[in-house]
Amino acid sequence: MNEFDLMVIGGGPGGYAAAIRASQLGLNVALAEREALGGTCLNWGCIPTKSLLHAAELLRNISHADQLGIRVGEVHFDLAAMVNESRSAANQLSQGVQHLMKKNKVTIFTGEAVIESPGLVRVGDEEILADNIIVATGASPRSLGNIQPDGNRIWGAREAMTPGFLPETLLIVGAGAIGVEFASFYATLGTKVTLLEVASQILPVEDAEIAELAMAAFRQQGIEILTSCSLENLKANEQVASASIGGESREFDAVILSVGVKANLSGSGIDKLGIELLDGFIEVDEVQRTNLPGIFAIGDVTGGPCLAHKATHEAMIAAEEIAGLKTHPVQKSRIPGCTYSHPQIASIGLKEADLKDRPYKVGRFPLYANGKAVVTRQTEGLVKTLFDADSGELLGAHLIGDGVTELIHGFALAIGHEATEASLMQTIFPHPTLSEAMHESVLNAFGRTLHL
Amino acid sequence: MTEGMVSEWFIADGDEVKQGELLYALETEKINLDVDADASGIVRHSIEPGVNLAPGDVVGYIYEPGETIPDALQAIPSRAGEGEVELTEAVTVSSDNAVAVATAPTGRLKSSPAARRLAGELGVDITVVAGTGPGGRIVEADVLLASTRIESVKASPLARRLAEQRGIDLSTVTGSGPGGRIVQADLDGLKQQSVPKVAATQATAGEVIPLKGMRKTIAQRMHQSLQESAQLSMDMLASMEEAVSMRSQLLKEWEGEARPTFTDFVVKAAAKALLVHPQMNSVFAPSGITLVESINIGIAVAVEEGLMVPVVRDADKLTLKDISIETARLASGARDGTLNLDDYAGGTFTLSALGMFGVDSFTPIINQPQSGILGINRIFDGLTWDQDKPVKTKQMNLSLTWDHRVIDGAPAAEFLATVVELLSEPYRLLV
Repeated sequence: MNEFDLMVIGGGPGGYAAAIRASQLGLNVALAEREALGGTCLNWGCIPTKSLLHAAELLRNISHADQLGIRVGEVHFDLAAMVNESRSAANQLSQGVQHLMKKNKVTIFTGEAVIESPGLVRVGDEEILADNIIVATGASPRSLGNIQPDGNRIWGAREAMTPGFLPETLLIVGAGAIGVEFASFYATLGTKVTLLEVASQILPVEDAEIAELAMAAFRQQGIEILTSCSLENLKANEQVASASIGGESREFDAVILSVGVKANLSGSGIDKLGIELLDGFIEVDEVQRTNLPGIFAIGDVTGGPCLAHKATHEAMIAAEEIAGLKTHPVQKSRIPGCTYSHPQIASIGLKEADLKDRPYKVGRFPLYANGKAVVTRQTEGLVKTLFDADSGELLGAHLIGDGVTELIHGFALAIGHEATEASLMQTIFPHPTLSEAMHESVLNAFGRTLHL
Repeated sequence: MTEGMVSEWFIADGDEVKQGELLYALETEKINLDVDADASGIVRHSIEPGVNLAPGDVVGYIYEPGETIPDALQAIPSRAGEGEVELTEAVTVSSDNAVAVATAPTGRLKSSPAARRLAGELGVDITVVAGTGPGGRIVEADVLLASTRIESVKASPLARRLAEQRGIDLSTVTGSGPGGRIVQADLDGLKQQSVPKVAATQATAGEVIPLKGMRKTIAQRMHQSLQESAQLSMDMLASMEEAVSMRSQLLKEWEGEARPTFTDFVVKAAAKALLVHPQMNSVFAPSGITLVESINIGIAVAVEEGLMVPVVRDADKLTLKDISIETARLASGARDGTLNLDDYAGGTFTLSALGMFGVDSFTPIINQPQSGILGINRIFDGLTWDQDKPVKTKQMNLSLTWDHRVIDGAPAAEFLATVVELLSEPYRLLV
């Protein structure tokens, strides 16, 4: 009989981080993973797509190298090699997690874990007793009605990041972060992309002004964008996919479905235990406890925002709670989000539309007024900041432009530490960097911009 | 305090003094105080030790290095800035100092001007700052360090601003953030605390003195003391005729060793009386009254921003001379912030002296959780009667506040009578 202080189910960025933290805190930890350590993020999400998008960015930059006086001649790319590179990055990191598990003396069980009852987990033939269980089973792409990815013409995210061919025409259904990133990738490779969104703006979770700027930029790159648009009759055969879009029948070489995710509940026995759900995701309290004693849940399986860093943070809370430490609940308004398209989008906190009923100040600073952006010819973009007019609280920050995903943590720190406009203004940002645009945006909100 | 004297020059006439070094010993009827130099330079004495002076009298001068020093002091104009010789610094017995001599050494805190300015800016109570500069002088770095300690209420910038806007005292808020930091969420749902408003028709609001540091502690503790116990006060007159003459003798006899003050006499008398009346040396709790075996007598010492109460430990076991040495150490230590926390801890009974302000009676507030506090008043020329003949007699009123939960009026009066008796027959304080 295997006995552990903690059994973690799922080896993604939530699960493996929980295992490491719990082990650091002296707990005897086991982790069950049915596929590859690292979960969706590492194997089928963030990491491989970032590899592909990096390749696309390089391709784009090389084709603009002329501007900098670099003559490169005709540029070719090899899609299969790009995909291989992304797979090897994913594999390398997955092995890294394996190493971390070993280093932290986490016992790995490979296979589908089933919670028989609180305290008892079965993986294959193995029975595992654990005082505490953390469910970190993640989420999977939702299908569209009865349309499932077929790997041929209808793709989910997995197929989209391991394409067998480069489609000439591509329909992407759903313009959230995943849809937008694939649109950006394939458009850069020359595919004629149609991006379709049911909501009235692309990137529905982002500030409307930023989404508008993103849409304009994508359209300029030749991406067709359809918002407030419904899709009917999606079907595919060996040669082509077709659908009725706004009443018009259209054909595409491939279709990517990126219409959100659903919690991975079946298989692990969660659906049979009587764990309370909320909108199809596991309901947890502020320290990640489910309604069943000794069972915690973290990450995507507990609902949005479905982001790896949210899962990792919740992992810390759950592990520390189990170890008896004092923890601090996640504040969802303090979770940054990033989209790695061209241009990039990064944001944290409230959107301007959320502030209708309160006095607020808005700061805007366009990247064309930032020295570093001019030097790198990446002047498309905006840093927008929102402050409470009375308290000076930084309520939200919304950025668009290349490089902004590496800037948003500055605002995350500020919001996390409850900085006011005064502390931000007093912070010295290095020159010449894109980050100066963050400072300028803050200054702009209070009528003190220097470079506009 | 109307008079005092330089009892000793620590820096000889014509010698050099550094700013912050001890310059002379000031002696008054109540207390002795060592005074340090406000400036560096060459010291010239204007008066000999032992000459009675009024507040404001000049006792000497400090000349800047290189300044021409006249041979005869008589040639020096009495006011700085007049005549040929510019006076860098007049060393005076100021009225401030006179207060300081008694209780509040306001002007004599060893601190640099920059440190004082910074303390003002940061709202740091400089009297509680420990100095690390030359001679224990408080320098800017000490104030900065102290300010970070004062900011021991950990709060986010936003929480601080919201608290200010909403009139919430952060020290009353429990922080839920990392390391107990107060964050915005901790302020949600807290009621706005009433901010006193001054009606324009009644009075014009002036400067608001922020309630912080020592002021705040005093406000809380005094109010709490009155709220939580049953305090009442009584006065009793003591003849100080013998004590006054005995003190004069002791001053001579112990010269160079100790300088007993009348407060020291009362410390000793109270300690002896507490041995006989242990209830006055007790702590009240709902479960019972604990008689405390140690007799540790606190002495309220006014400092620039408030009040410190250093403690003479085991006062009943100390001789009057030892007490005198100890109170001198405590008073100057409280004033320049060099005492340890231990010096303030463990008091079982307290003395508070206001006599130097001409006070004849007051109702001191008990230093909780003690059960009594004795107020020391002015020594004055009173009358006693020898048959039908009035006799001029040195007298002093003693004001006792006690906790009626612990002691009733009759035993409290008996305690006070014992103190009065001991002071009237002060030789008993020597045995």
